[in-house]
Amino acid sequence: MKTKTKTAARLLTLGLSLALGTAAAQSPVEVQFWTWYLSPKFDGYIKDTITAFEKANPNITVKWFDKQDTMVQDFISSVNMGSAPDVVNLNIDETSKAAQNSFLKPVDTLTPMSTLKSVYYPQTLANFTIGGKVYGYPWYGSLNEGVLLYNPDLMTKAGVKAPRNMTELLSMVKTIKDKTGAYAWVPALKDPGGASFLGYFFSDGLPIYDASGKAAFNSAAHVALLQKYVDLFKGGYFPEDGLRKEAFQLATELYAQNKVAMIVGGPQALNRIKDTNPSLYAKTVVTTAPLGKAQVQTGTSMGLVIPNASKHPAEAAKLAAFFTNNANQIAFAKIVPIVPTTAAAKNDAYFKKVSTDPIAKATSLVGASGQYINPGFKAPGNSDDLYKNFSDNIEAALLGKKTPKAALDDSVTYWNANMKK
Amino acid sequence: MTVSRRHKAPTKSKYSLRDTLMSYAFLAPALILLALFTFYPLAYGSYLGFTEYGGARFGQGLPPKWIGLDNFRTLIADPLFLKSMVNSVKYLIIVPVLQLASLAVAVLVNKNLPGMAFFRAAYYVPVVTSISLAAVMWDWIYNKDGTLNWILTNAHLIAKDSTFGWLNNELTAFWAVMLVTFWRGFGYYMVLYLAGLQGIPEELEEAAVLDGAGAWKRFWSITVPLMKPTILLCSLLSTIAALRVLEEVLVLTNGGPLNSTYTALMYVYSKAFQGFNFDYGLASAAGLVVAAVALLLSVINFRVFRDDTGGGK
Repeated sequence: MKTKTKTAARLLTLGLSLALGTAAAQSPVEVQFWTWYLSPKFDGYIKDTITAFEKANPNITVKWFDKQDTMVQDFISSVNMGSAPDVVNLNIDETSKAAQNSFLKPVDTLTPMSTLKSVYYPQTLANFTIGGKVYGYPWYGSLNEGVLLYNPDLMTKAGVKAPRNMTELLSMVKTIKDKTGAYAWVPALKDPGGASFLGYFFSDGLPIYDASGKAAFNSAAHVALLQKYVDLFKGGYFPEDGLRKEAFQLATELYAQNKVAMIVGGPQALNRIKDTNPSLYAKTVVTTAPLGKAQVQTGTSMGLVIPNASKHPAEAAKLAAFFTNNANQIAFAKIVPIVPTTAAAKNDAYFKKVSTDPIAKATSLVGASGQYINPGFKAPGNSDDLYKNFSDNIEAALLGKKTPKAALDDSVTYWNANMKK
Repeated sequence: MTVSRRHKAPTKSKYSLRDTLMSYAFLAPALILLALFTFYPLAYGSYLGFTEYGGARFGQGLPPKWIGLDNFRTLIADPLFLKSMVNSVKYLIIVPVLQLASLAVAVLVNKNLPGMAFFRAAYYVPVVTSISLAAVMWDWIYNKDGTLNWILTNAHLIAKDSTFGWLNNELTAFWAVMLVTFWRGFGYYMVLYLAGLQGIPEELEEAAVLDGAGAWKRFWSITVPLMKPTILLCSLLSTIAALRVLEEVLVLTNGGPLNSTYTALMYVYSKAFQGFNFDYGLASAAGLVVAAVALLLSVINFRVFRDDTGGGK
């Protein structure tokens, strides 16, 4: 009798445990997903992808929010209030800062490293690697150089052909302005993200840091490159608004008004030109971008990160991996000319199509170039202060308040004194 | 004095206990909201000014760490903060100009002439215009190829090849942004002055006219003294507003060129809210310094515009 009671009790306990375990496994989980500046333009794509994910994972529901200019503040506040999102869309730079400040969970603890390596290009994965740990699932990207698009009328009037490299591009800046009155090109002169000249240095094969990790962007070669830009700026060959406005915005604005001959950048510039000046769009020529001496593209990408404060990291990882998988990134590329960060994208038939339409041509030129997405340098610790200092020094050089050498020397000194490890 | 007080018959309060309780009950909700959204943040913000809080500390869920005056030492050693404070104090130049101009226009639009309502409304339009729209408009005006240069070159005041972007030049950007602040604030203070002017009894003006006082004499002897409380209010508000200038700077110049338009509040904003390297402790300390300057200037305002027509000392 005693044995029977014990057995019955054991069976009951086992049954209850199994029932509770199953219930726990199947209990619905709501995952909060934050994107950045994707609504309302891409509502359809995001909602369709969420629906497909929920169908494949019936126990997970996704609550989607699109954040815009207050993304970072909202993120910080939500962590503080105990209502952190589970999947957040951040770019490489912000991911780096968030990871340095202990906000993020390394995603290689949620998805095996071998899986991550098999899905994404090594470099796109490296972009989200901080201190040896991967903090983001690489999502859609863009290339800084990307393609060259130009106004053939202005180029003919100036008597020049499409530049094949950055040296050629810089050498024709004066000719185009003097002969046509239009600017040849709008370089990024000042960027709060520090990308402008640090990016140009990287493109020309010039290092940002030395072997010990100290800032080292003040060699004679760095100074000479900056000097070229300073001379052209002082001569009025670059729009002075470039110090105040974002280069991409200014370039597309002026190009559509026939005031700029060339744009070096992503195909997304063409979308704006198509809207504002359709006849200029129709005759715009798209070709390969001129590269710096290092012959490398630079670029950036978005990533999906999992906050440390996420209550459902496993489900969040599933959603992030789903959104960033090859099929979903290719589907996104078909809507807007993004550069997928998945290794399989380079063989996709979509990017091998031949077309005369500028956007289609640009998309096929850059779409399969995800392996080149590389900002060229890692954001330093304390990056907001350091980038501000760098930008201020570049501005001082452009406005003639400092020599290029003094500007770079001062910035390097500041970086090395204030860079947090 | 003491004796008379002692012998004074006990006066009965004109309010019953019920009335008193009722009054406090009506005041309580507003006080609770003020305590929650003003006094507590003020006290907590002041406390944070003496702590290390933000960045990795925040990400790890650690509480603020008391560091005494360290944040203030950092501020004193930061050339950007000093420059931003100087710019903010320099921005106060706008206060007397704005007050005089809006008072003068308020006097003009206070006349009962046909169509005056249109003018009153027109001057108020910039107050309700969104800053982003204003930024686009002023960008067109200040641009190298913009309206201002077009007017100046056509009036032969500057040569065509000497034009420049007014917001791109270290010498002009500060004043150009200040003009936008003037444009945005002018209508607001004008309306306040208009309300003050309409509260002046007409009989006083009529009596002065009968006594043979001219318009200028009436303005200085009647209008200005009676408008002192309004002048104090407007002066105080515009002093604090000048110290807190942020929006115009952010959208028009982002503090540049060469930080010539970088204001104290922009410093606070950038330290507290830009990026993940935020530093609430340092931002709060900077905010405290700005508040202290505002308090000092408020005291000066009270002293300058105190009512000495009989109500004061």
